Amino acid sequence: MSFVESKIGPGESAPGPEKTPVLEIEDLRISIASAGSSFEVVKGVSLTVCENEIVCLVGESGCGKSMTALSVMGLLPRGVARVTEGKINYEGLDLLSLQSRELRRLRAESISMIFQDPITSLDPVFTIGSVLQEVVRSHRNVSRAEAKEIAVRALVQAELPDAADRLDSYPHQLSGGMRQRVMIALAIALDPRVLIADEPTTALDVTVQAQILENLRARQREREMGMLLITHDLAVVASVADRVAVMYAGEIVEEAPVEELFADPQHPYTQGLLRALPDISVSRAGLYSIPGRVPSPQTPPPGCLFAPRCEHVLDSCWEGNPELKREANRSLRCFNPQPFEVR
Amino acid sequence: MKHTASRLVYTVIVLFVSSVAVFYAIRLSGGDATAAALPGSATEEFREEFRDRLGLNEPIYQQYFTYMGRILSGDPGNSLTNNKALTTMLSEHGRNSLILGGTAFGLVFLVGVPLGIVASLRRNSWADQGIMSMSTVAMAVPNFWLALLAVWLFASRLGWLPSAGCCGPKHLILPAVVLAFEGIALTVRMTRSSMIESQNSDYVRTLRAGGLSEWRITCKHVLRNALIPIISLAGLRIGQIVGYALIVETIFGWPGLGQVLVNAVLRRDYPVAQFFSLVLVALVVVGNWVADTGYTIANPRLRKSS
Ligand SMILES: Nc1ncnc2c1ncn2[C@@H]1O[C@H](COP(=O)(O)OP(=O)(O)OP(=O)(O)O)[C@@H](O)[C@H]1O
Ligand SMILES: [Mg+2]
Repeated sequence: MSFVESKIGPGESAPGPEKTPVLEIEDLRISIASAGSSFEVVKGVSLTVCENEIVCLVGESGCGKSMTALSVMGLLPRGVARVTEGKINYEGLDLLSLQSRELRRLRAESISMIFQDPITSLDPVFTIGSVLQEVVRSHRNVSRAEAKEIAVRALVQAELPDAADRLDSYPHQLSGGMRQRVMIALAIALDPRVLIADEPTTALDVTVQAQILENLRARQREREMGMLLITHDLAVVASVADRVAVMYAGEIVEEAPVEELFADPQHPYTQGLLRALPDISVSRAGLYSIPGRVPSPQTPPPGCLFAPRCEHVLDSCWEGNPELKREANRSLRCFNPQPFEVR
Repeated sequence: MKHTASRLVYTVIVLFVSSVAVFYAIRLSGGDATAAALPGSATEEFREEFRDRLGLNEPIYQQYFTYMGRILSGDPGNSLTNNKALTTMLSEHGRNSLILGGTAFGLVFLVGVPLGIVASLRRNSWADQGIMSMSTVAMAVPNFWLALLAVWLFASRLGWLPSAGCCGPKHLILPAVVLAFEGIALTVRMTRSSMIESQNSDYVRTLRAGGLSEWRITCKHVLRNALIPIISLAGLRIGQIVGYALIVETIFGWPGLGQVLVNAVLRRDYPVAQFFSLVLVALVVVGNWVADTGYTIANPRLRKSS
């Protein structure tokens, strides 16, 4: 399959030029303190999500995607990770300066998050209906019956089969895919403006993955939510994203509209990711993988963080880390961009 | 429900096996029963006749079935030393033991769980460190030593409480606390670690993302999940209390089953020893079954799935 073509209908995707930003992350830095040492895992990330837009955040495991997402929710693991610098704006509110009470009110109501592992993400001793209603009633002053109605509606929207009969189910009575639908229902029940999904399909069967993704995208489009979708599956990116941000070792190295990124990837890391896709490299014997490993956040290399693995590396690449340069509607962090060749 | 039913079958099997074990153990180690019942001057002939009358010369498996048959028909026999009916002894001493053991069992959870919760919520604070070091000490102190210390301090030195006797509330305090002590310490530690584990789990993150307050998440979701492993070990606590009751009842002169059993063993009153051993074993086994049923109720994953 070709990635750009697999997008669902060209007309309904790309939003017009009059986009309004709902979530703006500016120069975000996150440090982790563990075993006496402290190191940066997110190093000045800036990212904007607009209304009715899906931004995909991609990158290798450990590059800081989840930390970025959790910081928006104010859910960084306590005592381990903390934001040291930067701003996170939601519709003009600076989330990092909010009282925990105010931030709590925004969660689920304005900004929601779906997590990777639906198996462990639901409280095993309460029915899904009771948790859904509890979340609804903690935000809205509604009766039990109304809360139940909202809960059922959310489950229906998340396309949980027999939604109304499932309210009394415990998580263990549902399959992984169904549990992830419950997570989606929890996330969209109160009609938030921003939806963050951290690898929502990674833990699921391939067949279920596509349905869940399709459902998320449908809800996003009809509600015109801004969505930040974290994934390391480029096929997912190709099928749902409007814009893509590629992250490497805690930094954004390239950002572009999805068509442009696939048609003309400029950062050698992005190029490596595309080359590593099975269907592009079928002609070659075996699968391509980017040589080397992600540098550990405790001991970053001097200069460009990607230099040790880069095939176009110059001497100057070892001397300083390139800035993220903005040009038209895309940005790039590279001293020596080269045209992409599929080999 | 399937789980509960299979547990019931299991409980019955355990009851059977342990009754056989207790029966054999007492028969084989009891020594000569006639020594306790008859005066030293009794002739060997007379002793032999006595054994015959009690059925002690029959094959031991047959004795077992005869004996269990009598227990099940409600007539386990009489004491050799004072000829009291065992059933009368059971109702008198059993009541005392239930009061003491029940109080200790209640203390284990009513004191242990709240202290564990406080320690987990104020992790690494002075309160947490104080509670945890006290529980470490409590687990290291041997039971009988604690009992003697308590008697010395509260009865002899301070004179606040009686050192022994039965059965008013004042008499109950010292033995109940001593009996519960180790269980409290273990429950504190379990509650704390269980709360912390629950606190760090993924579903708590989901509930936070749903905008619930910390207080609500802790009191409802974290606590409810944290209690499951504690309930699952309630059976162990029962076993512990029954075991320690032998020592504690003896030291505090609390006329319960444990004291009766210890005295019977010392006097080789084997019908009493045998019967009350069986009663205590049955108590532990049935207690475990009840605790297990509680665990099933607390844990939806074990209930009938729809
Ligand atoms: N609790 C923690 N303690 C110590 N280090 C952590 C902790 N959580 C994350 N890290 C480190 O922070 C870095 C970023 O982690 P993050 O979870 O954001 O990665 P990710 O991009 O989401 O990866 P993945 O694709 O595997 O989910 C990693 O290098 C990881 O080792
Ligand atoms: Mg992650």
